[in-house]
Amino acid sequence: MKAVIKRFFSTKEGTLFGIFLLIFLFMTLISPGKFLSVYNLQSMAYQLPEFGILALSMMIIIVTGGINLSLTYTATFSMIVGGLAMSAMHAGGSSPLLSVLVGMLLMLVIAALCGVFLGFVVSYIGVTPMLATLGAMTLFEGLSLNITKGGAISGFPIEFLVVGNSTILGIPVPMVIFVFIIIGTWLFLEKSKMGMSIYMIGCSPKVSYYSGVKVKKILFQTYIIASLLAAVAGILMASRYNSAKESYGSSYLLQAVSAAVLGGTSINGGEGKVVGTIIAVAILQIISSGLNIFGFNRYLTNVVMGAILILVLAINFLVDRKSARK
Amino acid sequence: MKRILSVFLVMVVFLSFTWAAAQAEADDEVTIVVMPKLVGIPYFNASEVGALQAGKDLGINVIYTGPTTPDAAEQVKMLEDLISKGVDAIAVAPNDAAALTPVLMKAKKAGIVVLDWDTPADPSVVDLSIHQIDDKAYGEHVWDLLVAEMGDTGDYAIVTGGLSAANLNSWIDYGLAYAKTAYPGLNLVTDKVPSDEKQQMAYQKTLDLIKAYPSLKGIVGISTPAPLGAAQAVQEKGLADQIAVVGTSLPTDSGPYLEDGSLRVGTLWDPAKLGYLTVVMANDFLNGKTPKNGQDVPNVGKIEVWDDNRTVIMGPPADFLKENYASYKF
Repeated sequence: MKAVIKRFFSTKEGTLFGIFLLIFLFMTLISPGKFLSVYNLQSMAYQLPEFGILALSMMIIIVTGGINLSLTYTATFSMIVGGLAMSAMHAGGSSPLLSVLVGMLLMLVIAALCGVFLGFVVSYIGVTPMLATLGAMTLFEGLSLNITKGGAISGFPIEFLVVGNSTILGIPVPMVIFVFIIIGTWLFLEKSKMGMSIYMIGCSPKVSYYSGVKVKKILFQTYIIASLLAAVAGILMASRYNSAKESYGSSYLLQAVSAAVLGGTSINGGEGKVVGTIIAVAILQIISSGLNIFGFNRYLTNVVMGAILILVLAINFLVDRKSARK
Repeated sequence: MKRILSVFLVMVVFLSFTWAAAQAEADDEVTIVVMPKLVGIPYFNASEVGALQAGKDLGINVIYTGPTTPDAAEQVKMLEDLISKGVDAIAVAPNDAAALTPVLMKAKKAGIVVLDWDTPADPSVVDLSIHQIDDKAYGEHVWDLLVAEMGDTGDYAIVTGGLSAANLNSWIDYGLAYAKTAYPGLNLVTDKVPSDEKQQMAYQKTLDLIKAYPSLKGIVGISTPAPLGAAQAVQEKGLADQIAVVGTSLPTDSGPYLEDGSLRVGTLWDPAKLGYLTVVMANDFLNGKTPKNGQDVPNVGKIEVWDDNRTVIMGPPADFLKENYASYKF
């Protein structure tokens, strides 16, 4: 038993989980009775999923060796178009349930189209992912602004708020959705044939190609799947904030990259685990909430997050080097 | 094992560090949160000074905190954390009114007094709404200043902070509606031009405007960096005599441009006073006192209260000219 625990904590994810426990303990100590309260745990369970899903989406793309800078704008663009339809149908007298379903479906469809666009540009035209998605970011933002004229789309049926603001057996609905997404992503990335191909492409597209992997097709599909995940995050945000706007979650973009990298995903691609990303997301969440409850200066919160990120990366690097020497 | 130990050591050092800071804080006093749209820009730094000063004067605990980017999602998260922390009142300047409605409802359910300041939130969830200014009067005032400087006929343009900022948009809309009836001779050459709340961007866009519309006689800059960027462009082109720049700028930043006339006049309220007033109003409300029209608030002045007994207006703006800007400290 002891050996098993020891072995777990010496893996990358195990170390990360150890750090998570330490930080959790630390936060509990500095805000007695406040951090470790039902209310706060629940409020963190509402906050975590939207960011966690975005981080998973980012991670999948990073594993292919790319990066998706248009991630949050894919989410907001799809939520704006879907939200517009939803509120228009609601105002037009359609049944609330129908408006919600059509709106959410439209959000997924629009995101899938964004993914088709990204995937096409990156894999079939061959533009570097960073440049392609940077362009797409501005494009989606511009399209969104043209629709909203800078305001927010609101007037959703009250039923839509259930998605992001209610609980099932005391567990917030976003968390339930998140758990399904985690399992789905894990099965897809780490257990399926396509997932295997994604890791291979991330290691070396050329070798994958000569090994018979349909590199372009797989890349193309990966962008669509990642964009669909972004849409789910978009649905949660639109519901939680009861409105849709182009700038929602813009601060999640780089945080999603940090979470993926902190979770052990190699920024060069080919390496990364779902569980690592999830622990990393949880770490960032408890630091943010914990320091906030404690009343820590917000700039220093960023400093602490950055410091922990660098610390973990350094540890990972040293561990890698040590095991390479062996 | 060594690895875990070293991480643990780092955490312990960190812990003892913040532990000391925690001891300094007493827990049973009144705590009021003032949340700006973002921290780290001159305007909201100035209001922080006022809010904290009010806390000191009243002997209450004021937390001034906000996101480092103007993102409504980030504000929601921080507010949720602060509700967990347990505070007495929250005053927020929403990046987006609709997005904050659910979390502010949660705050009310938790028994927290909710105010908005600087930018209005959804009126159905706030107990008090602290406005720096009457938006309509302010918009019209800016256009009056423009006409005083460029005359009531001719071409002009608007450089604004961002297309999605509700307060900037409402000043511009009121100003434009007013200009239509009061100054029919004015001709707006193009739609309002956004500048991302950055002086550099406003400067660049103004250079483009000057090139595209040589007949330009006036520029209105809305948002604090916009008039400065516009003035910088006019200064560089040596057109201070032909193009009148007016706008909403902070007096200390405006100094260099007011001196040579590239910025004719700036107009704004004192953000520190706004922060101060917000804390005073929140504290009064917690003590069961509602604001009254004409009430004289120490260090702020006479305030105006609308008939809904909820909307508080700080007062008319101050105009900054070459002669008087140096006497202001913000």
